[in-house]
Formats: sequence, C-alpha cells, structure tokens
Amino acid sequence: MSEPLLSVDKLEVVYQRAITAVQGITLSAQQGQIVGILGTNGAGKTTLLRAISGFHGTDDARVTEGTIRFKGRRIENIEPHRIARSGIALVPEREKVFPNLTVAENLLVPAAPGLVLAERKRQEAQVLQFFPKLEELHARTAGLLSGGERQMLAIAAALVAKPELLLVDELSLGLAPVVVEDLAARLVQIRRELGITVLLVEQSAAVALEIADYSYVLENGRIVLDGDRARLTNHPDIQEFYLGQSSGKRRSYRDVKQYRRSRRWYG
Amino acid sequence: MLAAIYALIACGYVLVYRVSRVLNLAHGELMMLGAYALMLTAAQFTTYWPAAIAAAVGLSLLTGVLVYLFLMRKMTGEMVLAAVLTTVALGILLRGVMVLVWSAQQQYPAQALGVANTSIALPGGARISFFSALLILTTLLVYGALLSFLRFGRWGIRMRAAGQSPLLAAQRGINLHAVYALAWGLSTLTGALAGILIALDSGLDQTMAIIGLKAFPAALVGGLDSLVGALAGSLIVASAEVLLIHYVDPLLSEVVPFLVLIAMLVVRPWGLFGTREELDRV
Repeated sequence: MSEPLLSVDKLEVVYQRAITAVQGITLSAQQGQIVGILGTNGAGKTTLLRAISGFHGTDDARVTEGTIRFKGRRIENIEPHRIARSGIALVPEREKVFPNLTVAENLLVPAAPGLVLAERKRQEAQVLQFFPKLEELHARTAGLLSGGERQMLAIAAALVAKPELLLVDELSLGLAPVVVEDLAARLVQIRRELGITVLLVEQSAAVALEIADYSYVLENGRIVLDGDRARLTNHPDIQEFYLGQSSGKRRSYRDVKQYRRSRRWYG
Repeated sequence: MLAAIYALIACGYVLVYRVSRVLNLAHGELMMLGAYALMLTAAQFTTYWPAAIAAAVGLSLLTGVLVYLFLMRKMTGEMVLAAVLTTVALGILLRGVMVLVWSAQQQYPAQALGVANTSIALPGGARISFFSALLILTTLLVYGALLSFLRFGRWGIRMRAAGQSPLLAAQRGINLHAVYALAWGLSTLTGALAGILIALDSGLDQTMAIIGLKAFPAALVGGLDSLVGALAGSLIVASAEVLLIHYVDPLLSEVVPFLVLIAMLVVRPWGLFGTREELDRV
C-alpha cells in the first residue's frame, strides 16, 4: 500500500500534565477512505481528533509520546490554525458554528485568505451543492438554526477550506435518525465527489459501521479492535456490546467477563 | 463634545474586550502615549500638521500591536484576571516612564505645530473650537468605519468569529494572534486619536489618563461587547456629567461617570446593549 494520508503512531495525550486520555494509539487512514472510530463516552475519541486538529492554549493538553503524520509531515503539537491551513478540517462535537454570525459569514470565515471573490464564490457553490438547504438560510443567524442545519453548516464550513482530510466528531449526536441517515449519505457523496478522506468519530456504532470502510474500536484510550466493515459487523463482541443485537440466547456473566479480559490483550 | 471624547476612547475598550475578553485598563495611558507621540512627530513635521498627526497615529497602531506581541501574547491561555492585571501594571509603568521622559509639565502640541485653535461659530450662537469640531467629526468617522469593517470586512468578520469562539476560529484556520494584535492595534489607534485631539484642543499633561479612565464607565454602561452600546453609553455618561456639573457642583466631574457606572451595574450589569451571557463567563 502507498503511504497513508494520515498516520498516528503510538500516540499519547496528557491533560493538565496529569491525566492521560489516550495511551499508545496507532492507526492510519488511506487517501479517500472513510475511517470510523468507535467507542463509548470517555474512550478518548474526541481527544484523538483534537490531537490531530491541534490543541489550543486553554485546553492545557499535549501530545507527550508518539507521532502524528499528515502527508508525511509531523503535525503533533502545532497550533490549530496551521494544521487547518495544511488541509485538515474539523467538524467539532460542540461549538461547531459561530452562533452570532450568519450562515453566509460562517462560510466566509474559513475560506483561504487572499482568494479573489469569484474563486471563493465558486468554492462556496461547490460546497453548497451538497447542502442546498443552506442556500435558503444564507442570511439566517447561525444560532437560530436547528441541530441538523447546524451540523450541515459545520460540515459545509469545514469543506469551504478545501481540506484533504475531514475530521467529524459525532455526526449523529443529538440528531433524529432520519437526519443522521441523510447526513451520512451526504458524507459518502462528498467523499466520492471530492475524493477527500474522512475520519469519523461515533458513539453510534450502527452509523459508523454503515459508512466506514475501516474502523477502530477505542476503549479507555486504547484501540481494542479494528477491521473492515465485514469483520467488525460480524464480530460477536461488536454485535453484543455496540450494536446491541444479542444472538438469540442470553450471554452469561462469565462470557462478559471473558470479553473484558480479552480486551486487555490489545492496546 | 464630551460624549464624542468618551465615545472615541470607549470604542478602544470595546474592541479589545470583544475579541479577547480582556479589559485593557492601560487604555488611558496608551492614549496619553499617543498624545506624547505627537510631541515627537511635531518636531519632525513642523511644516504640515496633518502629517504629524498621521505619523503619531501610525506610531500608536504599531505600539498597540507591539504591546500585544510582547506582553499580552504571553497571557493567552492564562486566566482573564491575570491578563487584566497585566494591563494595570502596564498602565502604571507607562505613566511612570512618561513622567520621566516628558516631565509632568503641561505642554501644548498645538503651539509646537503652529496651528491656531480658532473657534467656529455655530448656528444658534454657540461656538466650538476647531479641534473640538475635528474630534466630533473623527468620532463619527471612526465609528462608521469600525462598524462597517466589523460588518463586512474579511478581518472584521474574523474578529467577530474569534471573539465568539476562539477555539473554533483557530480550527477554521484563523491566526488568533494576528486577530488579537489587530484588535490591540486598532484600539490603541483610536485611543491615540482621542488623546491627540484632546491635547491639541486643551493641552497635554499627566492628568489625561484620568479621561481615559472616565471613558471606561461609558463603555461598560453601553455593554462592553457592543460598539453601538459604547456610543450610547458615552452619550449617557457625558450628559449626566455635564448636567450635574452645571446644576449641582463642578467638583462632581470626576465622580459622575463612576456614579452612573455603579447605578448601571446594579440595574443591568451587562450594560445596555451587551450580551448577558458574556458576563457570566467572567
């Protein structure tokens, strides 16, 4: 295989010089892939994305071990705006749009500096073809949008910067299943038409496994399982603990304990 | 007139606060520094006074940017209180240095430049000095320019974005340091404009920093994150001051802005046009 677009090697992240949130994660994303990161609350998913997109002074977090390479260049502990300009765009979990700015202004902020108006308009139009609804909401203040519209705007604003790697933190969080279905389909369409690589962090395994080519399962800051769609959807532990499909007969307590023990061998 | 002075100074407080949540308590001193800068440039451009003013204003813009780069930049990521205290220290330091360099004596840059401060007759029998008129005009121009810059300008929109969510702004590729430096530069520039015009109108000495401090209530009354608020706040504080001086006691002049401030803080702590949520974060 050729060199991956993004490769994370034995990454360790420490908050406030004391709390280790991610310990020794190794993963990679090939050009044009959709890569899923599954895991429960506190597994370290968001920390992983934040480490890739760059920590801010007030985060009080640092990559203490390991490397992150993007297009072969090391990017750990670099200021977020530099990482953003190198071609990585993040759709954050919470503060994802500027609430007091209009939709149009939100789309204007990330555009590369020094672009002529026509070029910028063309880029914006290209992004808006995926989200025609935003066109109607152009003059609306972003704080007044619904959750789904806000997510669309966040993705659109990330795309305006013409990234090669799109990081999406919790596509489905707080949204109705129909909306999530729609957004997931758009993401697949975006990948197909723009050829960008997507790293998708999800609590909902069903959503991630449906669109991701390859997925990693994170628990307690470590990768405990990884594989392509077929392997993970058929994996008994994933079916049991992430998809909630029990295989008919109820599992005994001993099996669960066995699962917990087996997880420790990864990492 | 007083309202225009306050408004011109207050917009400097608003600019820095809105973008970085830091109250610049050295604004009065930075403004005075701008006025003293005029004394320097006056010696260079004796023939053409607008050039001297332009040079002094340019110097002030640079000063603001440098203050951010060498002092406030170190404070990013620290507590807001620490940053505010830094500005207090900067103010005291600047005041000390200015006494050392230019002495505490009153000076008249208008004379140094050889411009006469003629008075202009207004309809209705009132008279206004040339530089007062210029100051009011400048205030209006500055507000017009700032408002449209923040509304439509690329960097203006970036400043608003950075003020709302610094983290997201950084993730969207905005260099926060550049935005903050710009805010400090513009803030010092407008302050210096006020300082220079006041100095040209009525002379320059160490008490000028007090005018800067008195404009602070104006900014707060209007709401610290709102330019329109700063304008309204200045009108309120200035009219209260003028009325009380006229009808009660001229000695009240130093006290009135702060009386208005206290009254406002009790009734509506986030100011007339400010956002409530902003204050919750402090």
